[in-house]
Amino acid sequence: MKTFRVTRGGDVVARLDPAEAGIVGLLLDQLEQLLAADTDDVAGDPVMARLLPDGHRGDPELAADYRELTESSLRSGKTDDLAIVRATLPDGGGEIRLDRDQAGAWLRSSNDLRLALGTRLDITEDTEPPDDVADEQDQQLAVYYWLTALQGSLVDALAGARGARS
Amino acid sequence: MEEHSDLDRPWVTVVWNDPVNLMNYVTFVLQELFGYDEPTATTLMLQVHHEGKAIVSSGPRERMEHDTSRLHAYGLWASYQRDS
Repeated sequence: MKTFRVTRGGDVVARLDPAEAGIVGLLLDQLEQLLAADTDDVAGDPVMARLLPDGHRGDPELAADYRELTESSLRSGKTDDLAIVRATLPDGGGEIRLDRDQAGAWLRSSNDLRLALGTRLDITEDTEPPDDVADEQDQQLAVYYWLTALQGSLVDALAGARGARS
Repeated sequence: MEEHSDLDRPWVTVVWNDPVNLMNYVTFVLQELFGYDEPTATTLMLQVHHEGKAIVSSGPRERMEHDTSRLHAYGLWASYQRDS
């Protein structure tokens, strides 16, 4: 992987190895299925609870109002972002080249992927990258930290570009 | 009377600490959504990180609902409540 940077022309670019692009594609598939699922089928799923949390804590009525008001547009926003990531993900690896809107979609979607993985893996502030990859859990943890590096570089690239503009 | 004073109390949007969202990401999103300059956004992010939460906006309930949903679109752990 070559992490994200902003080119002189203002494009946001990175490069993924074939295996890395494949992993991102699989994670997108999983997230897409979850977002497309019937609300009742994913009720109680901890990942959905983290992606679409209660808007109000402590007042179930206000929380229900908030959900009714916002859930469908939040879902479709996340689904639209995901479609942009998929469309700009190089099949079989290679360069990612994004304009600012597409970079925003990558920023939000990569965060959703990290939230989903982090929730499944029960990440805490004390969790550390695995020293060696012995089992499935280590593998997923390694993917989580790889995504963290990718997203962190995207944040730095966009924040740097914003600093240069102002 | 009590109801009246209840209505006068403003609402706030709170961002809660979570172990996944990156510190630079939270700062970036607060700047992006609320127009905070970098020092202000960084201070709020550090408050979330160290104290577990920070108020990032205040105003009428409808606007706090909207702010909460914009934060949820970015995956921040946010909720709105009456100012206490």
